[in-house]
Amino acid sequence: MRLRLAGLAVGLVFGVTLAWTGMSSPEVIRSALLFEKAYLFEFFAAAVLTATVGVHLLRRARVRALLTGERVGWKPEAPARRHVLGSVLFGTGWAVADACPGPIATQVGQGIVWSLFTVAGVVLGIWLFLRRQPAAIDA
Amino acid sequence: MLHDQLPWYVGGPVMGLCVIAIRALVNGRLGVTGAFSEVIDRVGRGSLRFDWRGWFLIGLVAGGGLFALFAGGPVFEGYGWLTDTFHGSGRILIAAILLAAGVMIGFGAKTAGGCTSGNGLTGTSMLSSASLAATATFFATAIAISFLIKALI
Repeated sequence: MRLRLAGLAVGLVFGVTLAWTGMSSPEVIRSALLFEKAYLFEFFAAAVLTATVGVHLLRRARVRALLTGERVGWKPEAPARRHVLGSVLFGTGWAVADACPGPIATQVGQGIVWSLFTVAGVVLGIWLFLRRQPAAIDA
Repeated sequence: MLHDQLPWYVGGPVMGLCVIAIRALVNGRLGVTGAFSEVIDRVGRGSLRFDWRGWFLIGLVAGGGLFALFAGGPVFEGYGWLTDTFHGSGRILIAAILLAAGVMIGFGAKTAGGCTSGNGLTGTSMLSSASLAATATFFATAIAISFLIKALI
């Protein structure tokens, strides 16, 4: 119960921020990918920098996760073919729709009707993957 | 006020804090593709008992709704290059293109073990070399495809 509430709360903050920063706007994404505006790259770099410092401090302090009691940590993962091939496919879809899964979800909430087609495609794509490979990887 | 884009130096760190919060609370990996996957997997087995990742997705959609409520509706008209390019009955093509793009996004991100959030933000913050390779690949691909689309239309 507490885990689900935590997921919901973080999702709310994440969703409001994606919408407020314009990440759910196809024009904002397109202008970044065409190098017309730097906003997305600045935003992304600030997010990565904050997260990197934060999770490494948590790991170094050897803290336990508040709700699960698990020691904060993760296993390194080496790059494999699937990371590159999957990302080529993903990157292509991202540039065509000018939205990735987070913004697609917030677009639905924002009442952007076109997003219903994109979200149907995402569901279909993930379903096809899970059907082929039920013991799914963690994403 | 909500129609103004939140400055990147505010929005970016908030996103980073979300990744940190998921680590500090459940030692989990924040990723939207994983959240979609959790919901699809459970619903496929006839269950609605989602774990925290499913509720994270519900929060995302609700967050978009909350923002629209305060901003007084959608903050943009049409849908980018697609509604600029296709008009009238040609708009049926937009639906097909978005559906196909969605399949590529879903299947591709699952194959790669994450999307912009799972690999790009969370995996990169873990300094995972797999996520760094994935992130470099999807950014490079998306930039190349965007320029290709611009050249074609």
